[in-house]
Amino acid sequence: MKKILLAIAVLMAAYSVDAQSLSGRDIIKKVKDNPDGDTRYSKLDLVLEKSNGSKRERKVESWAMDIGEDTKTMMFFTYPGDVKGTGFLTWNYDEIGKDDDKWLYMPALKKTRRISGSSSKTDYFMGTDFTYDDMGDRNIDEDDHKFLIMETIDGKECYVVESVPKDKREIYSKRISWIRKDCFMGVKVEYYDKLGKLHRVLNISDIKQVQGFWTRGKMVMENVQTKHKTVLTFSDIKYNLKIDADLFTVSKLEKGL
Amino acid sequence: MKVLFFCLSMIFSVAAFAQDGDGDFKVKVKGFADTYHAVRCDKPNDWMSSRTRLRGELSLAKNHTELFFSANAVYNTLISDYSGFKIRELFVSQTFGGFELRAGRQIITWGVADALRLTDLVSPMDYSEFLAQDYDDIRIPENALRLKFSKNSFSAEALAVPVIETFDLPIDVRNPWAISITGNDSIIADEKPDFKIENMEFGGRLSWFLSGVDFSLSALRTYNKMPVYSILYLSPNEKLIAIPQHERMTMTGFDFSVPLGKFVFRGEFAEYFNEAQQPVVNVAPVSKNTSNALLGIDVYPGGDWNLSFQYAHKYIASYDAAVINGYRNSGTATVRVSKDLFRSTLNINTFAYIDVTNGGVYDRTTFDYAVNDMMHISLGFDYFNADKGTFKMYDKNTEIWAKVKVSF
Repeated sequence: MKKILLAIAVLMAAYSVDAQSLSGRDIIKKVKDNPDGDTRYSKLDLVLEKSNGSKRERKVESWAMDIGEDTKTMMFFTYPGDVKGTGFLTWNYDEIGKDDDKWLYMPALKKTRRISGSSSKTDYFMGTDFTYDDMGDRNIDEDDHKFLIMETIDGKECYVVESVPKDKREIYSKRISWIRKDCFMGVKVEYYDKLGKLHRVLNISDIKQVQGFWTRGKMVMENVQTKHKTVLTFSDIKYNLKIDADLFTVSKLEKGL
Repeated sequence: MKVLFFCLSMIFSVAAFAQDGDGDFKVKVKGFADTYHAVRCDKPNDWMSSRTRLRGELSLAKNHTELFFSANAVYNTLISDYSGFKIRELFVSQTFGGFELRAGRQIITWGVADALRLTDLVSPMDYSEFLAQDYDDIRIPENALRLKFSKNSFSAEALAVPVIETFDLPIDVRNPWAISITGNDSIIADEKPDFKIENMEFGGRLSWFLSGVDFSLSALRTYNKMPVYSILYLSPNEKLIAIPQHERMTMTGFDFSVPLGKFVFRGEFAEYFNEAQQPVVNVAPVSKNTSNALLGIDVYPGGDWNLSFQYAHKYIASYDAAVINGYRNSGTATVRVSKDLFRSTLNINTFAYIDVTNGGVYDRTTFDYAVNDMMHISLGFDYFNADKGTFKMYDKNTEIWAKVKVSF
């Protein structure tokens, strides 16, 4: 009995040391540093569900390329028809305070428009429950991170980390993330509003390895205050494609898919 | 002749190149059907527009070759001449390395201005319902040969338009948007410049899209596609005769866009050499050099608001009030306010043209509701108020309208 108790005590101590050896920032950095190839492609299906069950859908094809700490992304809408062919080109900079470069191509007008790289981060993306910031690549030092506790979700041990934005203009006061210990992939995020009330909950599932890279298959963001939710499903995911850097230019944006 | 030889050589080399490779054959189809009806707010409260349209777009692509086709099938209840099937764009394009050659009927858009034309002189405008139609419908494609080279954040474009298109200006008096120069005139139908090689439109544009700034340089040997009118006074008992005229002119221009936080600053500057000017009665048009400048600002305050302001100024050099029916200095401003509501299902948008010189205004306000993924219902209000200037001829055309659009 003593041996069992001793073994448990040793295990708990080891567990405690492991958990405490990583700060909140370390954990979030490991999430951000998760290998995802130098280039990526995927199809995104976004289903917007109202509390009364009515649904709307958006479909997107997306390419991305890492250039150092920065990321360039090209995205085209493929559904519905009224936005089909609309393209977004984003040069996302990791440096805090440096605005992204963004261009919007409107096929009906045959015109590309330079848009603000800073303002829309807190707006919701095309009526979904995801903000532009949620869809982008946030610098880890835009928030203060604190490790809270270890918890188990769906049988997987998770770090629980609280992140508080340094910029008080963010639409949430804090977010709490559950991050799988085995692969440093987030499985759940809670977003709290300015009054400290739970606002949105993100559940991530279908986490698997594609070409050896840990990959999210499905994300469900629910606004618990309005009961509106958005189901984001990734498909046809590819990593390390041979993409020319010239893909991420206005000329290619105007050329379309 | 050298130009023709060059063009033919390019086409043959492109055709040879197009035979290489065996990539996937891609077919893309999209389009919409819409029905639009507008009624005048003033007496006699008659229909200003009543039309239904099917737009189809087809793209066939393999390897580096694409065929693009778009067309409208229109039924116009008020003006039967506007009913029928009309090809909108039809072009083939071929990419080879950093080059793209596009030949055929196509829309060409230059510049950074919204709804105002300074450097954007290639594709003319369809004024069959003046500006009271969607801005994406208002451009007229041109039969053009366009060669574009792109590398990194730079692109260079050269184009040639053998036979130019001109503005579509309605003169049928059954059309409430029929133009009138003096209020009591008989306008002769527009005629394009003759189909001669010397009348060809040609030009080019160099563009840079960099971190923090976009800018372009452009030049175009063209015509005043919006005609000026020689006004002939015959006798007190007869209407004035207005004869449209298009004259050769040259444009050199510069445009830029600079994002700064929640703002994007835009500008265009264009010098027109020998631009034909609207003459006074019984005087032939004269051509003058003019300087044109536009400054604009887009504001993205968040909360799905979007605001935009522009001011464009025109200065006529060597101005002569005895022959030119206009001002040495004139200005036009635009204001746009847009807001998305209910998770982007409802968009409220208002866009106003302000004739600063004459004090006139035209504003189009739209409430657009997305019923579902395919269908939009729009209600709108077009407001005109002017005592003189361009908007004066439409000061009785204030209207309300409704549109249903299904996209596929």
